[in-house]
Amino acid sequence: MYSDLLHALPEVFALTNFLAVIIGVLAGIVVGAMPGLSATMAISVLVPFTFGLEPLVALGLMAGIYNGAMYGGAIPAVLLRIPGTPAAVATTFDGYPMAQKGQGGFALQVAVVSSSIGGIASAFALMLLAPPLSKVTLLFGPAEVFWVAVFGLASIIFLLGGNPVKGLISACFGVFVSVIGSDPIYGNDRFTFGQLELLDGINIVILLVGLYALPPVIDLLETPLKTDSVEGEKLGTEPIWKALPKMKGYWKTWLRGSFIGIWIGILPGAGGSMAAFMSYNEARRSSKKPEDWGQGEPEGVAAAETANNADTASALIPALTLGIPGTAVAAVMLGGLLVHGLQPGPMLFRDNPDVVFGFMWQFLFGAILLVLLGGSLATNSFARLLNLPRPLLGSIIIVLMLIGVYSIHGRMFDVYMMLGFGAVGWVMDKLKFPLPPVVLGLILGAFAEENLRLALRIGRGDWAVLFKNTTSLVLVALTVAVVIGPMLKRRFIDSRKKEGEEA
Amino acid sequence: MSEGHKNRFLRPETLSAVGILVVAAGFLIPTTDLRSISALLPAAMLIGLIILSLLLLLSDQRKAAAGEAPEKVTNSPKRVIGAFCLIVAYAVASDLIGFYISTVIAVPTVAYVFGFRNPLGLAIATAIVVGSIWLIFDFGMSQDFPTGRLWQN
Repeated sequence: MYSDLLHALPEVFALTNFLAVIIGVLAGIVVGAMPGLSATMAISVLVPFTFGLEPLVALGLMAGIYNGAMYGGAIPAVLLRIPGTPAAVATTFDGYPMAQKGQGGFALQVAVVSSSIGGIASAFALMLLAPPLSKVTLLFGPAEVFWVAVFGLASIIFLLGGNPVKGLISACFGVFVSVIGSDPIYGNDRFTFGQLELLDGINIVILLVGLYALPPVIDLLETPLKTDSVEGEKLGTEPIWKALPKMKGYWKTWLRGSFIGIWIGILPGAGGSMAAFMSYNEARRSSKKPEDWGQGEPEGVAAAETANNADTASALIPALTLGIPGTAVAAVMLGGLLVHGLQPGPMLFRDNPDVVFGFMWQFLFGAILLVLLGGSLATNSFARLLNLPRPLLGSIIIVLMLIGVYSIHGRMFDVYMMLGFGAVGWVMDKLKFPLPPVVLGLILGAFAEENLRLALRIGRGDWAVLFKNTTSLVLVALTVAVVIGPMLKRRFIDSRKKEGEEA
Repeated sequence: MSEGHKNRFLRPETLSAVGILVVAAGFLIPTTDLRSISALLPAAMLIGLIILSLLLLLSDQRKAAAGEAPEKVTNSPKRVIGAFCLIVAYAVASDLIGFYISTVIAVPTVAYVFGFRNPLGLAIATAIVVGSIWLIFDFGMSQDFPTGRLWQN
């Protein structure tokens, strides 16, 4: 089962593939360090540029960006108390007080080492858990695959938290977009309105760039943050090899943070910020001096950063094996896989083992490279990136978005469509409609429809075919649990609150 | 779409719900021309959207009746509309007069309008951006860009 992992290793060390990971990590740190930009946005903008690249080069870039951005978010979190990414909020609690005490350099070193350890643990979890899970899912037939898609959508809608009605609207919108184009079986046009450009359906990259890149750009231009107070020279940074011995007491926090991050990553809908908060709270609870936390305790930075990086590769376990992404970044990465003709799900491991296992290695090397690139070279110099004028940054991203989307088919129609999705995405974002269900709806919609129709053909039109075997029934039960579970939990919490108030 | 709507029917969430309802109902009409199996999923999604938007509308109106403030959408609507209009104008200009000319105009214009007003910085940044694009995409990757419909005609 694991022999494919070793077979994939030599290809990962090919110069271009390895270089892609290095560039990805550097780019990810830069993106993560810019408040308002995120790994999701960076990967969305990157995906169209990877069309002409070898799959492992493209995936290496994505793995590097994901790892790098998770650490990069810690830079403004420590220096300015502005989390570069949502997952870095918990890093501000102790990172910023450390910077005020003149220990900003050490805080960033703790962040980079902890991020790297979390990333390594997460990559190992992906390598160990994904292959056996994929073997199980290989046994699925069309009915089961249909239920897996339904389960995936239900879990991302109901476990994300927030308003389930808005989650359902997002998912319905995504699934509807997936059916635009030619019918996969009969070939008749659906909602193309005579536009030849829509016959092949809507390319996922157009939707990704519109939904995930345009709203942050508008935010950048709407409220330009002033970040010109950062001075790299005042960080008090010493070489990382001198700082490492000071961190030897954090091993329990690293271990705990890794477990929490991996677990949260596997759960659909949770994400890095929840992992970082949980890890921070657990580490503070078990600390001998909890009163020091929040006033510049380096272990607080270690707890948050380990967990938010441990969430990265593990979020891809359900994404690669079942086609259900755990986070928004994982959803965008699924889009990146589709661009290269790699359909996430059980068949991916059977048909493209070199690519999928190579991707796992790239996650591991990305996490290792984080210490070398982020730690030794970057700490001081990357802090200065925050001085980059944000309106200029916004205008450059707009140009990259246009180039990326235009390059898919070489037509402006796609660019206009991307702008349309961008406007919809901005409104959705502001009104707190979750965006991941839209992407997942687009990915799983066509997949679910195809398998549903196949199952119905096998069952000669009898809908009972969807409930005929145990696996299908288990998946239905899981879907029901995912829908009802959060409601019951909310009721339980409300009743406990009421009891508490009455007492 | 700023805060403080007096009219409860102009709350952003209510307007969105009505918008979804109208668009979904509009898209539902062509499903009648499709084979039933082809129309199954799209019709299910559109009917779902109609029902869900009604639920959203009811819940927002209930909030309005209870005196709850509407969802805050933006602090500076003019900047948002301006940003979006500039982006659309850039896309249209690329289509009509070509990518390079539009980019040379758009990069400094967007940055200037939104607060970066250093002329030297703008000139250097524009030169670097356009030069890098030409070097990487045009020269290095033989990528085609819109040449401008006006010149083609």
